[in-house]
Amino acid sequence: MPSPEQMWEFLYLSPEILLCGAGLLLLLWGSVGRGFSNGEASFVSISALVLTGALLVAVHSRLDWGGRLILGGTFVIDGFAFFWKMLILVATILAVLLAYRFVEEGGYRATELYSLILLATAGAMFMASGYTLLTIWIALETMALASYILAGYFKREVRSNEAALKYFILGALSSGILLYGVSLLYGATGTIHLEGLARALSEGGAADNVLVPLGWILLVAGLFFKVAAVPFHIWTPDVYVGAPTPITAWLAVVSKGASFAILVRILYEGLWPVSVDWQWIVALVASASMIWGNLAALTQDNVKRLLAYSSIANAGYVLIGVLAVSKMGLQAVLFYLLAYTFVTLGAFGTVILLERREYAGETAADYAGLAKRSPFLAAMMLLFLLALTGIPLTGGFVGKLYLFAAAIETGWTWVAVIGVITSAISLYYYFRIVVYMYQRDSTVATPIALRSPALVAVIAFCALLTLLLGVVPQPFLKMAEKSLNASRLLQEPAEATQLVP
Amino acid sequence: MFDNLPILSILCYLPLLGAIPILWMRDPAFIRKYATGVVVVDFLLSLPLWFEFDRDAVGSKIFQFVEGPYEWIPSIGVDYHFGIDGMALLLVLLTTLLGVLAFLSSWSAIHSREKEYYIFMLLLQTGMLGVFMSLDFFLFYVFWEVMLVPMYFLIGIWGGPRKLYAAIKFFLYTLAGSVLMLLGILALYFYNSTGLLGYQGLGHLPTFSVEQFHNIGASIPPDLQFWIFLAFFISFAIKVPMFPFHTWLPDAHVEAPTAGSVILAGVLLKMGTYGFVRFSLPILPDATHQLLPWMAGLSIIGIVYGALVAMAQKDMKKLVAYSSVSHLGFVMLGVFALNGPGLNGGILQMINHGLSTGALFLLVGILYERRHTRMIAEYGGISAVMPVYATIFLIITMSSIGLPALNGFVGEFTILVGAFNRVWWWAVFAALGIVLGAAYMLWLFQRVFFGPLTNPENKNLKDLDKRELLYLMPLVLLCFWIGLYPKPFFRVLDNSVRYVLVRVDPSLATERLAGQPTPTAPVPVPAVGE
Repeated sequence: MPSPEQMWEFLYLSPEILLCGAGLLLLLWGSVGRGFSNGEASFVSISALVLTGALLVAVHSRLDWGGRLILGGTFVIDGFAFFWKMLILVATILAVLLAYRFVEEGGYRATELYSLILLATAGAMFMASGYTLLTIWIALETMALASYILAGYFKREVRSNEAALKYFILGALSSGILLYGVSLLYGATGTIHLEGLARALSEGGAADNVLVPLGWILLVAGLFFKVAAVPFHIWTPDVYVGAPTPITAWLAVVSKGASFAILVRILYEGLWPVSVDWQWIVALVASASMIWGNLAALTQDNVKRLLAYSSIANAGYVLIGVLAVSKMGLQAVLFYLLAYTFVTLGAFGTVILLERREYAGETAADYAGLAKRSPFLAAMMLLFLLALTGIPLTGGFVGKLYLFAAAIETGWTWVAVIGVITSAISLYYYFRIVVYMYQRDSTVATPIALRSPALVAVIAFCALLTLLLGVVPQPFLKMAEKSLNASRLLQEPAEATQLVP
Repeated sequence: MFDNLPILSILCYLPLLGAIPILWMRDPAFIRKYATGVVVVDFLLSLPLWFEFDRDAVGSKIFQFVEGPYEWIPSIGVDYHFGIDGMALLLVLLTTLLGVLAFLSSWSAIHSREKEYYIFMLLLQTGMLGVFMSLDFFLFYVFWEVMLVPMYFLIGIWGGPRKLYAAIKFFLYTLAGSVLMLLGILALYFYNSTGLLGYQGLGHLPTFSVEQFHNIGASIPPDLQFWIFLAFFISFAIKVPMFPFHTWLPDAHVEAPTAGSVILAGVLLKMGTYGFVRFSLPILPDATHQLLPWMAGLSIIGIVYGALVAMAQKDMKKLVAYSSVSHLGFVMLGVFALNGPGLNGGILQMINHGLSTGALFLLVGILYERRHTRMIAEYGGISAVMPVYATIFLIITMSSIGLPALNGFVGEFTILVGAFNRVWWWAVFAALGIVLGAAYMLWLFQRVFFGPLTNPENKNLKDLDKRELLYLMPLVLLCFWIGLYPKPFFRVLDNSVRYVLVRVDPSLATERLAGQPTPTAPVPVPAVGE
């Protein structure tokens, strides 16, 4: 039973608690009477998300943006967590806006969709704060269970069902592997606390225990599954194609981002003493993801599938930042995922705008003549594709530059070489869409009406940020740096932010 | 005159800003005139640079009209920094001039999607000018890559039958090269500051400043220089293009619209040679010397191979494209002669090639607009119906093969002097290239213009109209000017060339260069970092 002082510490988690409450409220209210309409439910969700953001700012400003361990060291409130939580909230707000028109046209019940999105988002936020292997795992499962259902939300669609089932089976398997790794580590070291784990690993003796490497390798493998890195990527293309597109966008951005947050947290805090060993594993996985993700994308004709392989490749790029153990590397991870969030949401937003019921607007051929039918949409999509390729003046370029620079600085030049060559290759498949948009004529010449203002606003907002991140990256880089400085990642013990226990 | 005016930024961004209002314009005829007006203004604004440029400035003062450095991304030391030396000055003027001519030639050539066409052309103009003006390596890279996007669309939308293939090939080739250059830039960046790969860094503030890299060049360990040189080489050699990286060029040229070909041959290829002179040579002197035989060998192969392949072409545009491979081989040979005449001639030949090959593409485009074919076999005896056209074509042909009194001769002769001074038999092979060049160009001229006018479709060909004459005459006049009185051009280049030579080969620092007698004192080289 926690002491009264500890009860107060729950207040630090009030943003997450509020979000859970809103999700549950939607669920309960939705099952009583006629439930919420699409408009009401999305309004409630967005209000809840905005309020959560406000609370989050309040909590962190109360801590003077510093760090603090709470609830017996199970959660940490620090700058690193704050960065991710804000990113998760903004991305989810945009995803909810994307979902609005989709639900409207799809004819499915609205309330549960929004409720599950909120619950999954709460799980993602807990992930960013988790500081013991078990709290991290439970947060991860909260997010994962909700996203399995979300992937299958089109219950009358075979592809959506297939996506949900595949995601669930493989997801459960990976969670099992992850948990098994946690249990082995606990057995060998007697702790699930990240700090304790690091202490145990750095003391002699633990290293000789065969359970230790086995444990952390399984743990890391489970995390690679969540970020969709090769060879744990098999689920990604099918899930991305089958899931409703706004959910795909959410999975590509929030689920991946939060998984990277815990990957970095576990590797840089809990497994810090064995960093020399895991660097090699991360390097191999990063290279495999960049190579396979980009090569497999070359032959894709479905835009959602293409973006799925692109997200595998991008997981590889982000892992470069993870393996370069340096401030620049982590800064690159944060900045790149920030840019990737807006680029991906924008690209999926364009796909949604082109979708008319069911799955039209998904094959590359559906983009034929888009430059004539809607110059605005074509220009936006062009910008997002250029950003994904990493052409300068987009956020994608600055992010990749940082990643490669971090790799070169820390001596991982060969990974950087693979990175630049594969990003040149990626131009070929991203520009397949451009070829259709600008260089082929469509059979229909009617202009596309931009019917949904919310959707257009999201796309324009994402485009604006993609450009801002590329042209004036400085404030965003500073933001990433500040959030890293307000955490214990990579800090020498002496200069580390003191966490009040 | 420009003391308080950011003239370079104005020149660079005027086309970009000018492109924005086009988004709201509807009438193609008006867009055409408006866009041409923008580049004409840009050209006129660039002319004073020629007069204001201080030809006597030495050392780091050779970069003039400097703007910045202003902080852009202070986290990694990226600055906004513009400035031009003599070489960049000539290339900037070439860019603004060819821009005007290319726009004028587009009036009759482009009849679809004009709005997008002129927007992309203006963006391209901004990108190319930025490349030549940047004194920050990061900024340079940004322009270098961004410029690929409009060029891709120019080939890919308004090109010939195989435009899709040619456009993506162009983009992929150049991008693959430039990402490797990015790694080279990062290696320099880290060597200058914190060090990398076991090399102790110099501990300077992190920066991408080109001048700073020039100053630390000599202190970079040779084996590191080797790898950075290789990374730069792939990028620049693809752009030039040097044998065996040239295969994208014929495709791109043949498929591109006339204006695209003019800009591609006239300016874009120069970015590669410019890159060698601006970055590879002064920053990586040891690697330059080490790889000299390879560079010269590839240049010579390019000269001879390009000429031989050009001779076998049935398509006029393809012939001119392969002749570019040969001519750019000359430029590279001059550059890698690493002496005053060689570099001076190489840079001047960059300009000459821009003028004469630009004119050739314009001329071929004129014929193509009338007959919709570029096959040499379709023509013959054209001089009877198009006398003015034939005269100008002849002048440009002579300029291209290096007839004395025309610009090509001055460039090629100076390059030969430089090559001879370095290794005498380089000049022998290069001279062979001149002979072959005369052969394929004169044979082309003979087949197209002389003989009986057999093809009935050619009987009614119209000679040049006023607009066509208007955009060809400046090139013809410049060919004569450089051919008869090249001194002002060498005078502009001298100190820039010396600036490079001092760094790449200090023993030549005091050598007397054409046009300017006073030798410069060697620039003190910072101590080698241990």
